[in-house]
Amino acid sequence: MVTGLKKGEFTKDYISKLNFPPFLKKIFLLLAVIGPGLITANIDNDAGGIATYSLTGAQTGYRLLWVLIPITIALIMVQEMSARMGISSGKGLADLIRERFGLKITFYTIIFLVVADLGNTMAEFAGIASAGEIFGISKYISVPICSVFVWLLILKGNYKTVERVFLIGCALYISYVISGIIIGPSFTDIVSAIFTPDFREIQPSDFPIIVGLIGTSITPWMQFYIQSAVVEKGLTTKDLTHSKIDVILGCTTMVTVTIFIIICCAATLFNSGIIISNAKDAAIALAPLAGKYASTLFAFGLFNASIFAAALLPLATSYYVCEGMGWESGVDKTFKEAPNFFSIFTGIIAFSALLILMPGINLFNILIWSQIINGILIPIVLLYIIKLCNDPDVMGEHTNTPIYNLVSYLIVFFMFAANIIFIYFEIKT
Amino acid sequence: MSVFDAFTDITLNFSDLIGTPIINEEKNKVGSLTDFFVNYEDIFPEVLALQFKKNNQVFYVRWEHILSFSRRKIIIRNESPIGRSRTFPKICQKKTVTNLMFSQFSGQAVEYPPLGKVILDRQIVDTHGKKVVRVNDIQFIRVGQNIRVTHAEIGMRSLLRRLGFEKLVDFFVKIINPNSKYLTGNLLISWKYVHAIPDKTVHSNVRLNLKNDELNNLHPADLADILEDLDPHSRDLIFKELDPEMAAETLIEVEPEIQPMLLKFESPERVADIIENMGTDEAADILEDLSHDIRERIFENIEDDEIQEDIQELLEYDEDTAGGLMSTEFLTVRPGHTKSEIMQIIQNEHDDIETLYELYVIDDSDKLIGTCSLNKLLIQNENLKVGDLMITNDIKCLTPETHWKEVASYMSKYNLFYVPVVEQDHTLLGIVFIDDVLPWLLD
Repeated sequence: MVTGLKKGEFTKDYISKLNFPPFLKKIFLLLAVIGPGLITANIDNDAGGIATYSLTGAQTGYRLLWVLIPITIALIMVQEMSARMGISSGKGLADLIRERFGLKITFYTIIFLVVADLGNTMAEFAGIASAGEIFGISKYISVPICSVFVWLLILKGNYKTVERVFLIGCALYISYVISGIIIGPSFTDIVSAIFTPDFREIQPSDFPIIVGLIGTSITPWMQFYIQSAVVEKGLTTKDLTHSKIDVILGCTTMVTVTIFIIICCAATLFNSGIIISNAKDAAIALAPLAGKYASTLFAFGLFNASIFAAALLPLATSYYVCEGMGWESGVDKTFKEAPNFFSIFTGIIAFSALLILMPGINLFNILIWSQIINGILIPIVLLYIIKLCNDPDVMGEHTNTPIYNLVSYLIVFFMFAANIIFIYFEIKT
Repeated sequence: MSVFDAFTDITLNFSDLIGTPIINEEKNKVGSLTDFFVNYEDIFPEVLALQFKKNNQVFYVRWEHILSFSRRKIIIRNESPIGRSRTFPKICQKKTVTNLMFSQFSGQAVEYPPLGKVILDRQIVDTHGKKVVRVNDIQFIRVGQNIRVTHAEIGMRSLLRRLGFEKLVDFFVKIINPNSKYLTGNLLISWKYVHAIPDKTVHSNVRLNLKNDELNNLHPADLADILEDLDPHSRDLIFKELDPEMAAETLIEVEPEIQPMLLKFESPERVADIIENMGTDEAADILEDLSHDIRERIFENIEDDEIQEDIQELLEYDEDTAGGLMSTEFLTVRPGHTKSEIMQIIQNEHDDIETLYELYVIDDSDKLIGTCSLNKLLIQNENLKVGDLMITNDIKCLTPETHWKEVASYMSKYNLFYVPVVEQDHTLLGIVFIDDVLPWLLD
């Protein structure tokens, strides 16, 4: 799906060529396989993610921290299945859905996914706009400039470089961890909130947040992304264990950041009763670390996450749409060779940027709602993944074990349940 | 009574036929059509049997037992034998008969997968258009009392047909523009040019006659583009079938990051075979990216010691320097050689020489002492010694450590198509050709 390694880079074969003691070699080999899981999990913490986590902390304090445990387990399992599928079939997820379920199902699934991704891309642009507003830059300036920048980045830029700059930018999340440590919240409170939740405290207003948390952590497009990243890397069944470690490492890193964002927001915003209505409020969570520079720090983090996800998301979307529909794709092609591919990502960027520019639109609400749409869609995509993971035509000998299936179906069940309860309360109000 | 009494069309589409009820003579429903079993050995495969589904179980019925075939229903004989399998046992017809007993038992059955499963919604290689495409529909044609596969269909129209919007869109297009190309332009690929890629798990042990020789007739650069578009497994399937020469030429053309992936599953013997079929500089570039152990095993299998030595020498240099770029296959002559002797040498060695524009004159210790362009030599008389003709002063040459950028600007400055690479003491090591530098410039 994406352009691969350049000459002489840290490839696996290159590593096994070096003369190192065996244990060091093993670690290096692991490092070579690592990547897809870690990167995917970090892109998870995009604009919509930061918004949802901030909101969770500010509105519910520590109360919903426990939700992150099942989410982490689900995330690890889903990503592991996608990665395993990529490794054993050598094909992308859209590819497999098309071959296994036919054109009709593929088409309608893709339509829904594109709608969700449009929402997500809007969320990224909303993130850019919010970050800009902290610096006093009008969204009518920041969004058009950034959308053109993103469009050019996809067309002319090197994908790997984009990914790397983005990952380095992700180090800004550490500021939440430091901020959290400075706040020094009660350790026992947090542990008990995570491991011994009181389910009687759940309120109807929690369900949008729960669905949003699921939606922002386990996004549908992410599964397409990790699978093609694994295929692109040319991993074989020998790398299955390493790939699992990669996924687990990525997911736990992501969840650690998530927990700290919630803790920071809970300690600073929830305790003083501030209700988040825009990104500036959310920045207060970083005040213990950065003091008056909290907004600046927050804006930088938000901007980094938003702009790179805004580049990766439309690109990934156009790739899997073309893969599923059998259209020519690739940034190295000309418009004439791959008209659909270029139209799709240009369309997604233009459409979402324009919507964000509509006067009177609440940016923070877009961030939250895009994640909720994700949360509703993910169990459906998950059903496909589970079905494919049980097909020996696809997986060879690496199909799911019965227990794995049971847990996966339970996850799907609980996701559906959360969705239904959420929709029920939404209709009622 | 003909099978097609209730059927007038000449061409049929796979997607239109799927789901047609299959009934027996008493009009009891037996199942509904899900797929076709065809004779993959034909150029335009004949349908051998129909696959149908009843109560979620898959069965097949042979074509001979069909009484009537139409879009609305398919009637089969009452006592038709029904096979219960996802594949169809096809007896391979071996034409050479040795004796009666042998021919009786030699008919080995091969399990054929159904057509839709290997073609529909899958990627195939269109060997005519030279690209990888996804099949939306399959077209059949009526031939006598049977139907045969003729085309794989791609493009928007077949896409819409599968989605059930064909008639609707046709209607609107006719209103807007009755002469639209869309209405007549079905994108069809003749079955002759369809190169299917069997599945990894189920069909890989079934030797299907799905591959065709067209693939071997493609230009290596085109085939390389096709391989880059395919997934790793399909890539390997195609690459494995290529003869060493074609494999070598294709391998050179593929993106560098895919090269090791293609060689990963090949035996060291075959890799050695392929390596021997390419220039030493290209071989060195490819081996460079492989692990030490694998490289050693490949070297053990290279029979030609000279090639092996050359490659190993080339591996000493960094790939972005003149040493890494240069080829070690070039023609050297001694100053005492006459024109007719040199013509003889060229005749004998032309197989091992990559390109021939210039002669390199060396002394007894392999030092470059002069160059002589070939066309200059051609117009001389037979007995002229090359030593009298060669240019000796200011020979344009480089050292192996020169960075490729300097190589490029050096060649550009002096308008060179090739430049010899020499050691400090002028020992001739190799030649860099312009086409060795071009890929680096493009990156």
